[in-house]
Amino acid sequence: MTDDVLIPADAESPVDLAELLAASGLAEAEVLELVEFGVLETKGSVSGWSFHARVVHQARRAATLRDTFGLNTPGMALALTYLERIEALEQRLRELQCLLPR
Amino acid sequence: MKFKDYYETLGVGRDASEEEIKKAYRRLARQFHPDISKEAGAEERFKAISEAYGTLSDPEKRQAYDELGRHHAGEDFRPPPGWDTRFWQGQPHGDVDLADLFEQMGFRASQRQARPDFPMRGQDIEAVAELSLEEVVHGTTVTLERPVPQRRPDGSLERQSQTVRIRVPKGVTDGERLRIPARGGPGSGGGPPGDVYLDIRLRPHRLFQAVGHDLYLQLPLTPWEAVLGAEVAVPTLDGRVRVTVQPGAQAGQKLRLAGKGLPRRQEGAGDLYGVLQIVTPRQINERERELYLELASASSFDPRQSFFAGATHD
Repeated sequence: MTDDVLIPADAESPVDLAELLAASGLAEAEVLELVEFGVLETKGSVSGWSFHARVVHQARRAATLRDTFGLNTPGMALALTYLERIEALEQRLRELQCLLPR
Repeated sequence: MKFKDYYETLGVGRDASEEEIKKAYRRLARQFHPDISKEAGAEERFKAISEAYGTLSDPEKRQAYDELGRHHAGEDFRPPPGWDTRFWQGQPHGDVDLADLFEQMGFRASQRQARPDFPMRGQDIEAVAELSLEEVVHGTTVTLERPVPQRRPDGSLERQSQTVRIRVPKGVTDGERLRIPARGGPGSGGGPPGDVYLDIRLRPHRLFQAVGHDLYLQLPLTPWEAVLGAEVAVPTLDGRVRVTVQPGAQAGQKLRLAGKGLPRRQEGAGDLYGVLQIVTPRQINERERELYLELASASSFDPRQSFFAGATHD
């Protein structure tokens, strides 16, 4: 049915607060708190916040964890921090595994 | 329609309380949530658990589900007479999934409670693309075939297949997520459409392992190549190159070929690392054996020198 080729959003172009809220399903208060926790990174002032495109994926992940486990915002912040830490360690582990003889 | 046993999926009895259903869901979700479990099939399992919970946790949907009666999971069945008109307008057409039905039902329920033209954002479409290293280098287009529930003019549901093609630019890496805003399922009541998300996974390559934009290659050397140095042919994604191994090469040492990794989004590329391995022959002929014996008696090299240095007793 759809015949055209879909072009993904540029990973470098910023996303504004309204778009982040719509895409993630997080409430504005939750986003503000996650920014305060230092989990979501924002550019600009409170009036004109914008976010790096990758924040959309973090925020969606936070919302899924909230819905599945009934987490509050500090819980989401903690879970995201741990998950990102695990992923960084997994990347490092893969790097080290590449150095081992197979 | 294929029957799904939502109680069995959650591992609870048909008389389970709301609290028991919630507990079972939380326990299974903790086990199979894709952010937690890396087990194969965990994601599918989590989807099934969520679908079951979505229906059984809502009293109205649970009642409708219970009235479908008991069937075996996967069994073809028809809802009892009158079921569809009490819970749903019109007969479902063709290959409608139970999940579509209950999702739409919830949607109708929330519509009734709120304003009739309550704007709802469309569904997000999520998919995974497994790509080869070659596809990542040049960029590619992936085609997804997706069943999409469509509403017919009489208000009934029908599953239609929709083809979605997505341009994957060069420079993506394993685990990256692409987002195509506003091209997911259509919104209703004036709501905006959902988004499309595509997860990129790299297919394992025979020779190269990718870490971010860097590639790693095991580079085996003979003992004499390692000692004397050598010029060896090394494969890269764009053909073979000749590389000089310096004399005295050690196992585990990394030989860096700058810019021979995966291309980056904007410009430039990661590096290719040849990880040196020193490999010994499993079988040798008589002549080789003589030469090794001669080397053994001529050499004073002792890699275990430090073991007992300064030891007062063994």
